Amino acid sequence: MTGKIKNWLEIRIGLDELVRTQLTEYRVPRGINIFYTLGIVALAAFISQVVTGFFLLIYYIPDTEHAFGSVQDIMSKVPFGWLFRLMHAVGSNLMVAVVIFHMLSVFFMGSYKKPREMTWISGAFMLLMTLAFCLSGYLLPWSQLSYWATTIVTSIPTAFPYAGEFVTRMMRGGETVSGITLNRFFALHVTLLPLLLILFIGIHLFLVRRIGISAPPFGKAAEKKKTWIAFAHEDHPDGHAFYPYFVQKEMYVLMAYFALMFFIISFLPTLFFPEDANTPADQFKTPAHIKPEWYFLAAYQMLKLIPNKLLGVSIQMALMVVFVLWPFFDTKEEENILQRPPLLAVFLLSLITWVGLTIWGKYS
Amino acid sequence: MYPLVRFLEPPGSGAQGGKITVKRAEIPVGAFKDIVVNNTPAIIINVPDKGFIALSKVCTHLGCLVEYDKPGKRLLCPCHAGVYSLTGNVLSGPPPKPLQKYLVKVEGEDIVIG
Repeated sequence: MTGKIKNWLEIRIGLDELVRTQLTEYRVPRGINIFYTLGIVALAAFISQVVTGFFLLIYYIPDTEHAFGSVQDIMSKVPFGWLFRLMHAVGSNLMVAVVIFHMLSVFFMGSYKKPREMTWISGAFMLLMTLAFCLSGYLLPWSQLSYWATTIVTSIPTAFPYAGEFVTRMMRGGETVSGITLNRFFALHVTLLPLLLILFIGIHLFLVRRIGISAPPFGKAAEKKKTWIAFAHEDHPDGHAFYPYFVQKEMYVLMAYFALMFFIISFLPTLFFPEDANTPADQFKTPAHIKPEWYFLAAYQMLKLIPNKLLGVSIQMALMVVFVLWPFFDTKEEENILQRPPLLAVFLLSLITWVGLTIWGKYS
Repeated sequence: MYPLVRFLEPPGSGAQGGKITVKRAEIPVGAFKDIVVNNTPAIIINVPDKGFIALSKVCTHLGCLVEYDKPGKRLLCPCHAGVYSLTGNVLSGPPPKPLQKYLVKVEGEDIVIG
């Protein structure tokens, strides 16, 4: 039976050639490490979010009167509803972590440099989209945490004179966060953002396959680096086979990812659910000591420390632009960060500052 | 682009200029009462030596609601640690401007706000 199906496909799409050219004879650089697998883990995390999100949609009601109750019902009444909701909520946090690690490893290995500027930019946009996913999804349970986190974030544009108030009103659909905001964020979360992210994943994967996988800038592979004056696919004829060598590596890391997810769901189910996440939204009471999710803590602490709202928001916007366009700021050919102490210092300093602000934000 | 912007633009906001009335006896000196003015959470405080002061509770930094800290005689924002005086002026933290003030009139036993 399997043979018949294989033969049927062989005649129609040339299956053998496809497997040979795209998997067994496709070579990845020698010295490739597990950090190279983070892209596929991020993709798997997104697919997991789509599947669990679909199941949640079956019971979730996007209405201020019913949203909180429907989420509580998913957790307590729907058989295994808790599993899909926790997979979705824990998965969103893990997906952000994976995308951040992916970007950090790409940065550390200098893989954003010519000719891969567009690959970096599409990746940076995908990180921002992942954060937009988190933010829009955050409001949907209509809890105290949802309501006030959204109030804060949608107030950020008001830092800018003239257009700021207008942008905030457009995002909220009124003066305050309300049912209209819930509907807007719901539409964004389940239609526009998934379509945009799928589009960017397509662009990103196209660029990775078209340009070729970048060899690590350390060790023997680094000695063969070429100067890019015309387009050329980066081949690695002496590299490892994509299948089974690299696919096996990817499977190990994927298993570790889902093992971590189920460990959190089983043993730390409330890790991402503070008390305010289980209290229905009250538009007349801001909870004391409200804190954003861990990935926004650094930005939160920065806004707290900078006494001028416009300056605080402007600095964050400027940092975001620098991050997205980083390949155009660092145009030196040397990819090995260890050979460039000033760049290594910038990398470590930025990382330490981000981690420091995150911890400070958590305990301030 | 124009039709899209018009489509997303919220319809006219609720009626402005509404007034609310509170009984004077409900707020002795040093006490406060949470109220809603024009759909906005607000607070009226009977400040010693200054009388009744009505302020919007919406922090001018990023929109959280301030709380009355009676012992500290100030208003605190729980989100980014903005601190306001009982007259709504910024004492410390990131808020860019004072809290919005509402007109307060004492009419016999009633306090009219807005």
